[in-house]
Amino acid sequence: MPRIVRKAEVAWKGTIARGSGMAVASSSSSFALPFTNASRIGEPEGKTSPEELLAAAHAGCFSMSLGSELARAGTPPEHLDVRCTITMDEVEGRGHQIVHSAIEATGVVPDCDEAGFAQAGEAADAGCPFSALIKASATVSVNATLEGI
Amino acid sequence: MATDRTVSATWNGSLLEGAGTIHQAGSGAFGPLAVSWASRAEEPNGETSPEELIAAAHAACFAMALSSGLAKAGTPADQLDTSATVTFQPGEGIARIALTVRGRVPGIDAETFAAKAAEAKVGCPVSKALAGVPEITLDAALA
Repeated sequence: MPRIVRKAEVAWKGTIARGSGMAVASSSSSFALPFTNASRIGEPEGKTSPEELLAAAHAGCFSMSLGSELARAGTPPEHLDVRCTITMDEVEGRGHQIVHSAIEATGVVPDCDEAGFAQAGEAADAGCPFSALIKASATVSVNATLEGI
Repeated sequence: MATDRTVSATWNGSLLEGAGTIHQAGSGAFGPLAVSWASRAEEPNGETSPEELIAAAHAACFAMALSSGLAKAGTPADQLDTSATVTFQPGEGIARIALTVRGRVPGIDAETFAAKAAEAKVGCPVSKALAGVPEITLDAALA
């Protein structure tokens, strides 16, 4: 399969304390988002941050991996909901670091039991390229439960 | 103090024929955004993908870290234009991230700017989280 290339561009104006940036999706043109340091560290006030973009990337990547794992196990999903929370914290001597990504997955999956769904969740964590990468600085937790059980 | 940011996604159907949605972000800043395997692996057709979101996160984090480093050195930036290009190899994962920056920074020489950019590339939280990417390149120059 050919390599896939995706690009984003940022324009940042001014100092870190009072400046602001704009992050633009160059490949798809699907977003152009303002951000500031205050909205990254404190209340978001309607602005995104690198960590929120990573949460969106991880939720998207994980949902595709989980769907793929369930299909491979012979129980393709009808519907999957994946919620990702990324935590950044100040680590003694290392400054700000992304320390945790918490994945909560629920699904409607015909013929799949809780154990099978949990197993697919673990396989998705192992198979999602982003889950593997972020473990350089963060722990990843996966909680996968079927809907309506 | 720890900062949490949450985003949810929904996926319906199989990987190849199904489709997903990244719902409105916790901040309210974006979403819903459509995603699909076809737009992730082939032409984007106006849809974002995990790799594009990672590129946006990295370009933003790198710009902020560099802005901070330049200010601490007594040469705050007027403007930094950064980009991140993420190369994904299906079956292997993210193979490469190429960072670029062009800076308008009064009172700094090209060499010092390049050194500050190299520090930001290593030190920004997203770089640290993505330290497992086989190749992260940097092209830094004054505008």
